[in-house]
Amino acid sequence: MKITIENKDAMSVIRLADTSVILAQRLAEMCSNGPTLEEDIALSNISLDLFGRAEELYRIVARMEGNKFTPDEYVFHRNEREYYNIKLVEQPNHDFAWVISRQLLHDIYAKELFTQLSNSPIHEIAGLSQKVLKEIRYSFMHSHDWTNRLGLGTPESNQRMQAALDHLMKYVDEMFNFDELDRKFIPDPEKLKSTWFSEVDRILGESNLKRNAVAPLSMRDFRQGFHSEHMGHLLSIMQFLPRAYPDAKW
Amino acid sequence: MVVQKEFGHLWELLSEIPDPEIPVINLVELGVIRHIEEKPDHDKVIVTITPTYTGCPAKKLFQDLILEKLASKGYHNVEIISQLFPVWSTDWLTDETKAKLLKEGISPPTIGDKIIQCPKCKSTDTKMVSAFGSTPCQSLYTCNNCKEPFNYFKCY
Repeated sequence: MKITIENKDAMSVIRLADTSVILAQRLAEMCSNGPTLEEDIALSNISLDLFGRAEELYRIVARMEGNKFTPDEYVFHRNEREYYNIKLVEQPNHDFAWVISRQLLHDIYAKELFTQLSNSPIHEIAGLSQKVLKEIRYSFMHSHDWTNRLGLGTPESNQRMQAALDHLMKYVDEMFNFDELDRKFIPDPEKLKSTWFSEVDRILGESNLKRNAVAPLSMRDFRQGFHSEHMGHLLSIMQFLPRAYPDAKW
Repeated sequence: MVVQKEFGHLWELLSEIPDPEIPVINLVELGVIRHIEEKPDHDKVIVTITPTYTGCPAKKLFQDLILEKLASKGYHNVEIISQLFPVWSTDWLTDETKAKLLKEGISPPTIGDKIIQCPKCKSTDTKMVSAFGSTPCQSLYTCNNCKEPFNYFKCY
């Protein structure tokens, strides 16, 4: 099955959908691996929100594309180079500090992004965005709280958070390289970027953490389907069942 | 929420469907069912629903339960439309519905998650244990007064 995306609007929306589904999959990996039972439940709940958000976004993509493919087909039958998620969300759960840092950087981005999308002239995108913002409130409360706790915790937790942030910050630049397709949906990309940086700096500041300068990555943009080495491994696990058993129903 | 008077018998019928996770309230009270339309020659019913939470695992079940209930009264040609707009909100729960939740041991949503009451001793001296609970719509709390742990229905 070769999945194509013809419509330009659909191409922009599928980036949001892919970012949601890949982060959902990463968090689903934490199910039964959280440091405490409450944390396990929290991360699984946030994962569920992201899967639900992705499903709604793929439905919008499917409608824009004349229902040629279903949401499941978009998720399970595209290869690595046909995925358009930001590289930040595919980074692995190296330790709990990576999980939390990734959540924090993503939540602030998503909060600003969906705030701008909530005024979209496309009704279903505006409606979904308003819904998503309610969910992000809880997810952001979680990542904000944990950033404070780990940053201000022990020297070990602080050092691990800083190491995670130093690594993940390498993948931030591309998040703001909005192209023509994105700009149709995001009325004020400059504001999105400046709000993101000031919000991240504020929270890191109150948590005794820093945003260190990072050398830019020589990796091409996710908008062209380029990914870090972790992406293929993630997809191989996520897509195994429907690819091995194409008629499986659940 | 405001129950539309038209097609009253169908509204009544669908209000017999309990929420799968919180059976004390039904799908109409929950605000999931937005609109019911019966075609003039009675051969088709269109039900418009809205999801509570995008990732709610009961989303598909809602649809199956509606189809099953309508089929039990002879409505076999049913179309279910899911719409996101207007966005579902816990503000749609009536005081009566909230009272039912409290009676069932689930503290009902309050504006801005501000004053959260213990369903057992009714004290408002309570604290959050975890923002995430057994379902996407609930948080875990304990009561500082009677020490009882309870679920709180998050404000959305």
